Amino acid sequence: MSQISSICDSGQDSHIIVIPARDEEKTIRTVIEGIKSIHPQEEVVVVDDASTDATAAVAQAAGAKVLSLALRLGAWGAIQTGIRYALETGCQTVITMDADGQHEPAYVNALIQPILTGQADVVIGACPDRVSRARRYAWSYFRLLTGLKLEDITSGFRAYNFAAIKILASAEASLIDYQDVGVLLILRRKGLRTVEVQVPMGIRTTGVSRVFSSWWVVANYMLQTSLLCIARVGSGKLLKFHRNI
Amino acid sequence: MVTYQLTSTLIGLGIAISILLLVRRDHMRGTYAVWWLCAATIALLLGIFPKVFDKWAASLGVGYPPVLALVLGLGLILIKMLTMDLERSHQERKIRRLAQRLAILEARPQMSDADAAGVDNDTEAL
Repeated sequence: MSQISSICDSGQDSHIIVIPARDEEKTIRTVIEGIKSIHPQEEVVVVDDASTDATAAVAQAAGAKVLSLALRLGAWGAIQTGIRYALETGCQTVITMDADGQHEPAYVNALIQPILTGQADVVIGACPDRVSRARRYAWSYFRLLTGLKLEDITSGFRAYNFAAIKILASAEASLIDYQDVGVLLILRRKGLRTVEVQVPMGIRTTGVSRVFSSWWVVANYMLQTSLLCIARVGSGKLLKFHRNI
Repeated sequence: MVTYQLTSTLIGLGIAISILLLVRRDHMRGTYAVWWLCAATIALLLGIFPKVFDKWAASLGVGYPPVLALVLGLGLILIKMLTMDLERSHQERKIRRLAQRLAILEARPQMSDADAAGVDNDTEAL
């Protein structure tokens, strides 16, 4: 495997923060600076999902490593790019955060703690109170379909260990569109342990959710995810999932 | 008077010739060309011998033979559409991984000879 110079080349406990970003020039600098102020040693990788604004330039100027996608791949496609980069550079842990400033960098350590202590392979920073009642109903519906016991299945604030990185970097995970149920189902099928850590989240200051941007997008998302859940019925359901530590 | 057999033969011949011309002009990849050449042969044979359907329909208990032809034709079209979507999904996966790979390669500050050699090997990892 060819190597790219990265902070991950330096040690066993290395980790990077991956931020998928599309047209986030207004917030990306604040997010990167917020991370750097608390975790100056962390490598921040911004995956620019074919933005039409200056997201890539702003992120680079703020000190992030920028991976620019030539095609718009969506949120998961961008995150997977960061995960593949992490695998290539030998990183042991990947933390994913949104580019809109909702996630607090101060909780990165809390997020990776269960991985460092060997309690989990994947950690989700959960904040179920942040969403509307309608979205909570949607989560309940997906929990019912999949048997997942997790509270916040759409949170983009996550940490993956090396075992999860290897699985999620594979071609098997390349046709997923969102970093939620599809990713969790693959991880469950492979027998990885996922836990949730309660974290506070801020309010989105700009832009809109990619999933909940319009009723049409929501309907499409619900239909696609339902089909994905139904297609996976019984797949790895016996594997144990933990919640809320 | 134009007979039913002549009409079906002409239709079968037209379809077969069109497909053969497209294959001959390299407008289609090998795998697809094989499918369509088979389709052309079947269209031609059934065009020349339309009575075959009468026999098949009788043996399968279908009262009106043209219905059998339509159902079989629709079934084959559905199979073809299914394989097309499978192929499209396969290509979509490859395109996504290619775009990701490109983004990672572009992020390299400088590519050494060793890295350049690695790129060739990386194509397997797409």
